This record gives sequence, structure tokens and C-alpha cells, in this order.
Amino acid sequence: MAEAEILQTFEAGQPAERSFGEPVLALENIVLGFGGVKAIDDVSFEVRKGEILAIIGPNGAGKSSMLNCINGFYKPRSGSITFKGRRMPAMDPHFAASNGIARTFQNIALFRGMSTLDNLMTGRVLKMNRGFLWHAIYWGPAQREELENREFVERVIDFLEIQAIRRTPVGRLPYGLQKRVELGRALAMEPDILLLDEPMAGMNVEEKQDMSRFILEVNEEFGTTIVLIEHDMGVVMDISDRVVVLDYGRKIADGTPDEVRANQQVIDAYLGVAHD
Amino acid sequence: MSYPDPAVYDTLPKLLRHNAQAHPGEVALRLKEFGIWHETTWGDYLAKVRRMSLGFRDLGIGAGDVVAMLGDNDIDWIACEVAAHAVGAMTLGIYRDALEEEVGYLVDYAGVKAVFAQNQEQVDKLVSLGDKAGTVQHIVYSETRGMGEQGDPRVLDLAVLEQRGEALHQADPAAFDAMVEATSGDAIAILCTTSGTTSNPKLAMLSSGRFVRHVITYLKADPKDHTDEYVSVLPMPWIMEQIYCLGFGMIARMTVNFPESEETMFADLREIGPTFLLLAPRLWEQIAADMRARIMDASAINQWIFDKGIKLGMKAIEEGRRSGVADVMLFSALRDRLGFSRVRSAATGGSAMGPETFKLFLAMGVPLKQLYGQTEMLGAYTLQVGNDLDVDTVGPAFEGCDVKILNPDVEGVGEIVTRHDNMFLGYFRNEEATKADLRDGWMHTGDAGYFDAKMRLIVIDRLKDIAETAGGVRFSPQYIENKLKFSPYVGEAVILGSGREYLTAIICVRFSIVAKWAEKNRIGFTSYTGLSAEPRVYDLIGKEVERVNASLPEKQRIRRFLLLYKELDADDGELTRTRKVRRGVVGERYGQLIDSLYADAESAHLDTEVTFEDGRKGRVQADMRIMEVGGAPAAELKKAG
Repeated sequence: MAEAEILQTFEAGQPAERSFGEPVLALENIVLGFGGVKAIDDVSFEVRKGEILAIIGPNGAGKSSMLNCINGFYKPRSGSITFKGRRMPAMDPHFAASNGIARTFQNIALFRGMSTLDNLMTGRVLKMNRGFLWHAIYWGPAQREELENREFVERVIDFLEIQAIRRTPVGRLPYGLQKRVELGRALAMEPDILLLDEPMAGMNVEEKQDMSRFILEVNEEFGTTIVLIEHDMGVVMDISDRVVVLDYGRKIADGTPDEVRANQQVIDAYLGVAHD
Repeated sequence: MSYPDPAVYDTLPKLLRHNAQAHPGEVALRLKEFGIWHETTWGDYLAKVRRMSLGFRDLGIGAGDVVAMLGDNDIDWIACEVAAHAVGAMTLGIYRDALEEEVGYLVDYAGVKAVFAQNQEQVDKLVSLGDKAGTVQHIVYSETRGMGEQGDPRVLDLAVLEQRGEALHQADPAAFDAMVEATSGDAIAILCTTSGTTSNPKLAMLSSGRFVRHVITYLKADPKDHTDEYVSVLPMPWIMEQIYCLGFGMIARMTVNFPESEETMFADLREIGPTFLLLAPRLWEQIAADMRARIMDASAINQWIFDKGIKLGMKAIEEGRRSGVADVMLFSALRDRLGFSRVRSAATGGSAMGPETFKLFLAMGVPLKQLYGQTEMLGAYTLQVGNDLDVDTVGPAFEGCDVKILNPDVEGVGEIVTRHDNMFLGYFRNEEATKADLRDGWMHTGDAGYFDAKMRLIVIDRLKDIAETAGGVRFSPQYIENKLKFSPYVGEAVILGSGREYLTAIICVRFSIVAKWAEKNRIGFTSYTGLSAEPRVYDLIGKEVERVNASLPEKQRIRRFLLLYKELDADDGELTRTRKVRRGVVGERYGQLIDSLYADAESAHLDTEVTFEDGRKGRVQADMRIMEVGGAPAAELKKAG
């Protein structure tokens, strides 16, 4: 069965007209290089509040590097990032995390020996104010804090329908579920902006279908802005509001899925160009 | 044990109000949500029902209307049922995994006016039915997730309905009491779907007075009280779950616990440690099979303890006692692990169960008893009594329930017919079926059975399923199937042979276990289909079939079998929602396979239509190998037959 066909069923449930707020994150003229290689070359785009933005492009186009710049893991050589009214030459990772930017990774980065629940609780660390000593004695305010955060985590567990694996060490879970737990940990941070690096890589059709549903529901229920990298064009075209296309570190298109689909440069990048 | 007087408290709303007045702070229900068990007292329960029923009345629902419930087992469901009874309406439970067209059929047939549809998935079924669910005026949901903006004006949030009910209660505090007083035990309260192994389900009409009185009859045979804990895992619309959750709950004040989700069922069961338990034979079999699968992963010493313990325990049970040694070395730990430590009474019913599985649980110290009944007879009316080892019978009939064998043959086998004072009142809007099944006040069950010397009933099979080979050998397919299904590797089996020369089988492997076995033996596979086609899996199942053959009379042995490329599925109509095999459907859909089984062919080809979970259809073509049992060539066997 065609994946695209299944994913289209989601479209029916979505309101036809979606409107978005002001830009929450702006990247201007970002240049990132490793030695002599320019991974990102003068790329600018904005992320608007409440939208699902997909970044696509062939392998090595600089998609993951872009996410790494957004959450401060990489420092761009030049350009600026504006977030929460602060214009910076590079994002500060701690500022990003404490101001509501959460992400998942291409190669799952969970604590494999810890249970699903504990992994999700690590997503709450930034929300906990009591120090190590308080938590060591686990009394009064520290206990109250733990319980409040646990309650929030339980809501995430319920939302992602992972009650049955609450106590299972994540290393024992199948791949698709690990991806879901990772999304859960990002959600536990109550993010305003969620960065998803290939959330559906290596998944089967059913798992992709579930994941698409969760992404749409996160966006719809909590109004979370989502920036995702994905290779599955069926998924990208179906769930994104806007698509940014990168090729060899440069931005070659930026628009709605339909606009991007019709863009000649994008077609060339994906299908190759005939050389005379 | 004393129970409320059925002459005074003859409806569920009256019983609930009685309990809430007498024991307002006692826990009536528990629901696990967000990882925590939330308790509902009798007082809370009544308050919820009051809000919902006043809300229902405000929506214009009253006597003669039908309210349907559709969703997972939870408090909202049963509160909705009691609330509907309070306004004088009838209730109809629909299986949560019912497909759109099944929902459409029931809703249309019963003229349902309002539906409690738990979540978006269920609401969507109703909304997309459009005109086919034209009688539905209100759709009430409880889970707000994904509901967002609804285009359909019939859709209403339960919380809003309850608010409205609460406001009405504040305005007129006597209104609810008057409504409860007005409920009558003679009125039809529950429309209960029959399992429908052959066709669309029929709706048995049950009055609440009869429901209450029959529950008390049952409780006399198996007493319960407020210290009993029950975990609700059976499908809610099934008559036995209605009897337990509503009947036992209201009358014996047994605490009913609702698990967090279907997947967490066994973990939740262990947390509660129920004292009473009824599982379908399939679930018992699954527990036994999972246990065996898990032990395959255990260390050598643990495997040795397991094997030894099982052997000791099984031997002791056959001698009519329990093995203390086996209990210490294995069974007490197993009981704890499975959550059966506190079980005082356990039952199985719905369909027949393999005797080996049955013995295993007895050996484990789970006092498992078989019961027997029909939806029309308000569920069970026989139950095993005493502590004798008894794997064959379903026990004697309850007090006041008449059971007799119609037209017995020389061995005393005939159709089981039955009656009691509290049986159903006929099928809803189906005079014809009522006349066919209910003759001179006796319900004709269509089951074949007989009484043993101690007047215990033994049920053999469906009367029409008792088959005869071309050579005149009578056999019960179900009996042989159950023997096969005791093997952990066999998930489902269909025995064929009616009007043929010999018996053959279509077998579905139990994926979870065979997959594990394959992994251990380094057999690569990608899917259920691939695994079923694997020659070594054929050999494995072949051995299991030979083992079963050894315990059967020669003429009833399985000569040839094939492994089906997929599991039998209720969504494909091959099983009923309570997971009984629909022989007609299987015979029709797999006719090509059956012909090949009786031809000289070494493989069978199939070209059929399948239904996916979301209701779409597709074509499937598959080839399956046919295996001779015992390795004898087909031609020789044919001559012998």
C-alpha cells in the first residue's frame, strides 16, 4: 500500500485554513563551515508561531547542521539568530533549552538502561529548582516538586499512549517505540519549539502513521511550533505547513508544500539535471 | 450472605442509591489513570449517575429510547448505563473494536437515540456513518483529545452534559429521586447483543428485575461481598461483564477495577490482586503460553525448576490433591507474578477450554471453575462446584434453573434446552427469531451435551458443528481444536472433515512464541506469512499434530494440515468478537485451501479479499504448503481412508 495514501487520511481531519502568528525564531545569513567545507552558506528563514516547518534536502545538504545551529550546538561563522527578542551571533545552548527549544536526535539519544519514565523525568530537570541535597533527602518542597513533575510526565505518557512501557528499560524497546519515548522526553520539557531530526527514519508504515498523528496532535493540542527534518516526502508534504529546501548548504526554496513541489530548482536537486 | 431485597431494589438506579445511602464512603470503583488508581466511592458514583441522568432527561431521552455505549471499559461507560436506566431508557453496549458497518447496523436496527462514544475514534465512526446513523440525535464523548472543533452539532462533551445535570439538580433536588422511584423492574433495561457466530447479532431483551434476581441466583452459587476485588478486562457489552460490573458490583458491592489500557492489563491486574476473575479460555491459554515462552528465555536452572514444578503439580492434580513441594518451588512465585495470589474464585466461560490448560491453573492453585450460559439466559446458569478434579463438565445448574437434554440419543447426547424465571423476554424487534429459539418457554441453545451420573452438564459443541465424516465417524471439531491449541505454538486451529473421508486442519501459528522459537533456532523471517511458510515451522507444528493424534481415536486423527498465511481475525469476520471461530466464513473464504487439502496437491493456492483495520479492503494471493502428518504419502492415506 502506498504510504502517501494512508497519510492523506490525516488531512481530512485538519481545518483547511491555518493561520500563524509572528515569527518566533529568525535566522539571518547563517554561514557554518568545518575547515574548508561550507556546510551552510548564507541561509535565512523564519519560523512562525504554531506552524509545522519541514527542512528537506538531499544527503549532506546541511539539514542537521541547521538544527544544531538553532539549539546552539554549533556556532555559525557569521550571521545572526533572533529568539525571544534577543539577537545573537550564535545560540547559547542553555538559553535555548531553558527558553523552550527541545529536540530529538537522528540516532536516538536516550539513556538505554533507564526506564521510559526515568528518561521522561530527565526532560523535567530544567523545571526543577531544588538542589541536589534537597532531592537526596527527598522531603518537603523537593518531594512536592518531584510529584508535580511526575504528574506532568504522566500526562505525556498518556498522550503518547506508552503506559504499558512505563517501567521498561528503553534499551529493550523496539526502535519505533524508542523514537516515541524520545519525543516524549522532548515534550516533557514543555517546549515552545520542537526540533525533530528525522522522527520517522527507519520506521515501518504503521509506526510512521502513529508518529505523524502524534506530531499533528502536539501541534494542534499544545500549539507547539515544530521544525522537522524528514526524508519521507509523503510525510513531509502531508503534515507540513511550510517547507524549506536546502541543497549543498544553500537555501533553494521556501514555501508551502505545493509551491515547493512545483519549484524547478527543487526538482533538479532531487532528480538531477541533465548536463549538456 | 445477605443481599438487597430484589422485590424492593429491582433496578440498578435503586440499588445504586441504596448503596450510596448505606455506604457512602466505601470504594465502589477504581480506575487507573496517569499511573495512579483513582477511587470512586458509592457517593461519588451516585452523584455522577445523577448528573448524567438529569443531563439525559434534559436532552429529551426517556422511556422507550435506546442509549448505546461504545468505548473502553471505564467508569463513564457503566455510569452512562445506570443513568440511562434511571430515565427509563434501554441500553445497548457495542464492542469497542466494532467496525463502522457493524456499529451502523446495530445503531440503525435498535433505533439508538443517543450514544456515549468514549473518544475521537469512536465518535468518528458515528459521524462518518452519516445517514446510516440517522436516528442518533446526541453523541456524548468523554475524552477531549483530538476532538477540537466538531462540525457535527450532535457531538457533546460529557463534562458539559454533567454540568447541565448538576445545575438541574441544584434547581430541583427532588427530581432525581422521583426518577429513580419511577424506574420499574419489569421494564426492558438492557439490550444485550448475542455473539452471532452465524450472522448479525440479535439483541436479547433483559428486564432489570430479572437481571437483579438472576444475579442473586448466581451469587448463591458463588458468593461475593464488599471485600471482593474484580478487574474488568472482558468486553463490556458481553453479558458476563454486565453481570459482574453492574450486577455483582451493585448487589454484592464487589469493587470493580478498570485497567489503564488494554496493553497494561496484566500489570494492572497484578497491582490489584483480584479475588475474583473471569477470563475467556483464550486469555487463560495466552497466559499459559506466555509463561512457557518466557521460561524459554530463562536460565537452565530456572527451566529445570519450572519443568519439575509443572510435572509435580500436574501429577498431584490428577490424583486429586495439590503438591506442596511444587507450590513452594514454583507455583507461589508464579501466582504472585501473574497477580493471582489473592484469587478466591476464578472462572472461564464463553467457549470450551483445553483440559491441559485447565489442569495447569488448578495445579497452580487458581481455583478455576467452568461455567456455561447464554446471553439469552443472562449469562451463566451452571457452574462447577466442589473441589473434585473435573475438566469435562460445566457443573450443575443454579438453583431454580431447569436444564434438560432434548431428544437424547443412546449415549444421552442431545440438544441442551433450558429455562428459568429470569431469562430474556425475546429478541428486540425480531419475533421470528424469538419463536425459533424460545419454544414453549424453553430456550433452545443449539449446543449438544449430556448429563453425567452426578447431574453435571457436559457441553460437547454446537449441535450443527458436530460433524460426521463420509465414513460415518462423528467428531467434534472444537474438541480437537482445543487439544491442538494447548500447544504453545498453535494460536488458532480449524478442523475440517465433515462429509469428507478424513480429517484435516488449517492451523495458525502463535506468532509471539513461534517467532521466539525461530529466533532461538536462528531461522530468519520477516513477517507472519514468512514464518508460517518456513519448513522447520511446518516440522515443529507437525510434531504437535502427531502428539494430538496420539491421544485421539484412529478415525479422528488429522491426516493433512496447512499453516495459514495470516492469523484468523475478527475484523475479517473469521472470528466473533468473543473470538470464536466462524466456521461458515472460514469454509467459504478458504474453500480453495480446503479443496486442496482433500486433493492430492502438495500446496494450496489462495486468492482472497482482506479488510484492513481502518475498514479498507484489498486482495491477497498466497501459496501454502500442505503437510502430511507422519510422513505417509497422500495417495496411501487416501486409500486407507
